[in-house]
Amino acid sequence: MSITLIKPGWACSVQDLGRWGYQEFGIPLSGAMDVNAAMMANRICGNEDGEALLECTLHGTEIQLNETAIFSFTGGGAIATVNGQPVTFNKQIKAVGGSTIKLHPSPFGCRTYIAFAGGLKVNRELGSCSTYIAADIGGCNGSNLESGDLIELKKIAPKQKMENITISAAGFGSSNWKAIAPELPHVNDLVRIKCYEGPEWNLFDDASKHALFNTPFTIGQHANRMGFQLEGTRLTKKENKEMISSAVTKGIVQVTHQGTPIILMADAQTIGGYPRIGRIFNDDIHLLAQCRPGMKIQLVSI
Amino acid sequence: MECTRIYCIHDHAVTFEFAEIISEAINIHVIALKNYIDVHPFKGFIESVPAYSSLTVYFSDTINKDEVVDIIQLYNKQLKTHNPQATTDNSEQSSSTKIIPVCYDLGEDLSSVAKQLNITKEKIIALHCNQTFRVYTIGFTPGFPYMGTLPAGLHLPRKQTPALHIAPGSVAIAGNQTGIYPTASPGGWHIIGRTPIKMFDKKREPSCFLQPGDVVQFNSISTKEFNQYK
Repeated sequence: MSITLIKPGWACSVQDLGRWGYQEFGIPLSGAMDVNAAMMANRICGNEDGEALLECTLHGTEIQLNETAIFSFTGGGAIATVNGQPVTFNKQIKAVGGSTIKLHPSPFGCRTYIAFAGGLKVNRELGSCSTYIAADIGGCNGSNLESGDLIELKKIAPKQKMENITISAAGFGSSNWKAIAPELPHVNDLVRIKCYEGPEWNLFDDASKHALFNTPFTIGQHANRMGFQLEGTRLTKKENKEMISSAVTKGIVQVTHQGTPIILMADAQTIGGYPRIGRIFNDDIHLLAQCRPGMKIQLVSI
Repeated sequence: MECTRIYCIHDHAVTFEFAEIISEAINIHVIALKNYIDVHPFKGFIESVPAYSSLTVYFSDTINKDEVVDIIQLYNKQLKTHNPQATTDNSEQSSSTKIIPVCYDLGEDLSSVAKQLNITKEKIIALHCNQTFRVYTIGFTPGFPYMGTLPAGLHLPRKQTPALHIAPGSVAIAGNQTGIYPTASPGGWHIIGRTPIKMFDKKREPSCFLQPGDVVQFNSISTKEFNQYK
């Protein structure tokens, strides 16, 4: 059983729940940006939470099933079709061999997860299947998927509960139930993200502290799996103090010398030296992962 | 050694800070505490990340932050009681000096650094090559060695805006630290040269060329020598 990537779209990579245990060597956690959506995709297919799956950014991804397969879409950022017919996210879907999956533009969300029952047959590297392109680790040859890539699927284990899905004339069918998923942000929304004061909160002047929680910021064009640069009020320090580098991780809001805040995401570096004005509430990192460049966010103090 | 500050960087990660300075003695203590936790892992412990003067402990949701703080504080006390010689023991183990060839002609920021510091390029190279550096921690990207301490004549704040694409092997300075970018990445340090040695190779064991505690000396090479390097 296998799938073939016809088109990668904006970006499509293999991820799981991350590469834990290697941060002391400077190897980032990586893993799904929206961990909740990734786990949900696997659960819908009866997989373990940590099975390798596909993370697709926005639209354009096109996949061909080489044999009959069971799969699910979660997260957002696209409208999915199977053989040209729209399908609902958060359902178990079964489609015959030769079927084509496509992701089309949508104004909601940013990242779609596609899990296949059984999981993707991808080698673990340093304990995880997650792709970390900056050091060519994990996934398919350490890089994002490219047109023509063939990925084998693992066999569905006997204990995995599969729905009795009727396949229509269009070559696919879906479960009569749908998992409940969080609402996705729309591109025009002002998305509220909960945030704590960070370790260097007190290094910043009062105007910057006020601006962080009371003015909106726009997610800049430099927004990727490593971090999101924010455009808006420049944040300034009370004094110019050079910091000693220490550990950082996803959710940390660090501020460059120019005063630009950067929210670190899944591929964040393990050690950093910029002052950390805030840290995002863990459960809102998933929501942030569904926001795309150009969208406005409002950090809310907790 | 007492913690000077304890704070969260994530709901499941707490940092124990021992100082806000770069000090060999403190870094030795941080690495000793890291090793002590590795030998005595507690329920819910995932991993720990040593930095210059702090240790960050990652834990699962089977334990809460206050419990982790209590355990690490206890370990920190036990470390002192059980291993009062930790400092001297570790210094004796420190490895022989590793020589790292650097082509300073490939340092894209060398001219601007010379201008900002108001010294010649030759002086920068001399200051960078005429002493040894300690590897305090590995981080930022796979295999990136944070080394110190630079002589005062080379101290320069990080760039105002990080460069988006830095070439692998780039040797850089910032504040009183020096480091080497192992992979192509963004970064805010000033690039003064490039080494042909691979700092990180996932197929090599160990994958990182340098380890915390290593002693490093840079050796200036020409562009021709750089290109001839295997």
